[in-house]
Amino acid sequence: MFEHDDDALNRMIDRLREPVEMDPRLDTRVMARVAAPGFGARAALVWEWLRRPRAVAISPIAGLGLAAAAAVLIWVLPTHTSQPPSLPATDITPVQFVVVAPGAESVSLVGDFNDWDARLTPMRAERDGRLWTVTIPLPAGRHRYAFLVNGARWLADPSAPRAPDDFGTPSSVVTVGG
Amino acid sequence: MRAGDQAAYAVLVARYRARLGRYAVHMLGDRDDAEEALQDAFVRAYRSISRCRDDARFGAWLFGILVNRCRTAGRRAARRQRMFVRDDVSLARAAAAEPPEAPDWDITVRRALDRLVPALREAFLLKHVEELEYDEMAQLTGAKVSALKMRVMRAREQLRALLSEVERV
Repeated sequence: MFEHDDDALNRMIDRLREPVEMDPRLDTRVMARVAAPGFGARAALVWEWLRRPRAVAISPIAGLGLAAAAAVLIWVLPTHTSQPPSLPATDITPVQFVVVAPGAESVSLVGDFNDWDARLTPMRAERDGRLWTVTIPLPAGRHRYAFLVNGARWLADPSAPRAPDDFGTPSSVVTVGG
Repeated sequence: MRAGDQAAYAVLVARYRARLGRYAVHMLGDRDDAEEALQDAFVRAYRSISRCRDDARFGAWLFGILVNRCRTAGRRAARRQRMFVRDDVSLARAAAAEPPEAPDWDITVRRALDRLVPALREAFLLKHVEELEYDEMAQLTGAKVSALKMRVMRAREQLRALLSEVERV
């Protein structure tokens, strides 16, 4: 009886192991999506806009030098009426990311806002190279991010909620607006 | 290979398409859903390739992304009630209208697989179809080895029972 049941199960497994043909056009669709300008390009546009000189009142940040191991500081723009017409009418908030990484040769901010590309958002060393900071514009919503130290070591932000992800590397969540 | 090298990535997509597609089709039971999950996995992997810490294990890393994409797709499909729906009324009518005959083996396999809850189906496919070791499965799924062994055992038990029911028809 059991052997008979196992025969059927083994036949099923054999059937499932047979190759499944997928449409080869899937490759074209994947590569089209890969090549399409994504959020990274949009973020670059926003960042370019934000970097233009203008008088912007930004709330003072107290205790920056006393940051813990890492911290995300959110500046609130007083208004978005100065947005150029080409930008979508969403709230863009400058968010400062800070991490203490003494002795690091380089630190990058990576996240879903820059497609986790370590080349796009290098952080700047301050205070004798102990403190690394960068400020980027982010639209309202939840964003996952991490710090990449010396191009190899992934570091989640200990001061922020951890993010579940698909990739098995530590990351954190910052919520902007809302 | 690192981000930006689209030609090299196209080669990887072609190389992994069939292997990953098989898992997605069996897991989701719907070819359109499977293709969508597979596309998403490839695109997410490309955009996040700097997070693949060991190039030699790119395949395993990509497979992990696909497993998660399939979970998301499965939940979405379940919500729209297009998948794993057992139309018992229609089946009963069909059985009354026509003399019973042994169903096609492919349909039997598909139905049996669909009757498993997603966690059992996932564990069964990874172990017996993709032939992964339990520690590899644990890395992909985030579940403990002991839990995965239990899921595989339960999946086998349920499938044996389902298949024997069909064979008695």
